[in-house]
Amino acid sequence: MSSEITYGLWKDWRLHGLVLLTVAATEAIGTYSFNVGPGVVMLLPMLYALIVGLILYFTPLIKDRQSEKAEPLIVLGVGLLLAKIGVVIGPSLPEIIAAGPALLLQELGNLGTVFLALPVAILLGLKRETIGMTHSVAREPNVGLIMDKYGINSPEGRGVMAVYIFGTVFGAVFLGVISGFLATITPLDPLSFAMASGIGSGSMMAAASGSLIAAYPALETQIVAFAGASNLLSLSTGLYVSMFIALPLTERLYNVLSARKSGRGER
Amino acid sequence: MLLRNIQEWTLLLLIFGVASLAANWFGYDIMPISAVPGMLVLIAVALLGLILQQIIPVHFPSVAYIAIIGVLISMPWMPGSEKIVEWTSQVELLALTTPILAYAGIVIGRSWTDFMKLGWKTIIVASLVMIGTFLGSALIAELVLRLQGII
Repeated sequence: MSSEITYGLWKDWRLHGLVLLTVAATEAIGTYSFNVGPGVVMLLPMLYALIVGLILYFTPLIKDRQSEKAEPLIVLGVGLLLAKIGVVIGPSLPEIIAAGPALLLQELGNLGTVFLALPVAILLGLKRETIGMTHSVAREPNVGLIMDKYGINSPEGRGVMAVYIFGTVFGAVFLGVISGFLATITPLDPLSFAMASGIGSGSMMAAASGSLIAAYPALETQIVAFAGASNLLSLSTGLYVSMFIALPLTERLYNVLSARKSGRGER
Repeated sequence: MLLRNIQEWTLLLLIFGVASLAANWFGYDIMPISAVPGMLVLIAVALLGLILQQIIPVHFPSVAYIAIIGVLISMPWMPGSEKIVEWTSQVELLALTTPILAYAGIVIGRSWTDFMKLGWKTIIVASLVMIGTFLGSALIAELVLRLQGII
């Protein structure tokens, strides 16, 4: 939340009116789910709302200035969302404390990005961009870390920005689609995926846990509580995991794999 | 300054509240009248968190204050928490997220040109980044929850 706040954002009735219409229409359509093989893909109203918003931006109804105005509004909306998550966590607090070890340790699961994405990036021939791209999910604190260490115009900086842009535009839709699908095709428990939904971005968490709730409505309270607690944990510890574990690991793995690849190339 | 911020936040939270009540009604068949008390509680919690962030001189995000206040007022040990839980249960979580993503869609329109410039290699790697963290966390959570006998 920046301190230099712009006043009078509430006066933009066209912007708020269009959002209200979008919300009412997308919620009236409701959740749409379909099977892909043994898994289920959930399309939630919030995903349609995102796409309608994006389309609105390209119509004359929304100007660039309104798009800029909408940005600080998201912080307030996420504030309401976190108030709700707080009151869901409260009554489940004994349960959350019991699951504390799992909540803490799954934060290290973020290293999955390094092991899964880094080898593929090197196979595809990407160079040092790889380090910025694969050391984390590239949310704001991670972008800051890379910019600080390598500079804005470095290959690492370009890499982290590329994943940041992908995540900003496509992250919520992507996670919303894969979370329900993965939870229904893998034998893992929905509660494990609930913890995994707390990535450190409000909209990604909402989309990922939202699909889980749609797939397992009976577990709603637990899913929200675990996803919310995990998201708060990611917000507070994510940067340190990146700084002290993920980034050094990414550097080392990059050096080993890229040396091996170029070594083979020379022979 | 702070008073002016509070006025601005209140009005914007109310606008968000109206959109969420509409989502709650159209999507989950909860009449706005029965969701209003819960919505007002959530707005008050969010407002209090925003205010605390401004007056406490420690660098700590407002969302963290908000979540902590939410947890505190709904803990089983807190007197009156049943009412808070009962009222706020009338506001669906997903009804709060739809307006957020509608505004977010309008905002990310400006990033669209940058997005379209990303090459196919970036798209593949970025997708694997998302899947990697999601599956990685789920696997560890599964392992520990099983070891603890919770699932």
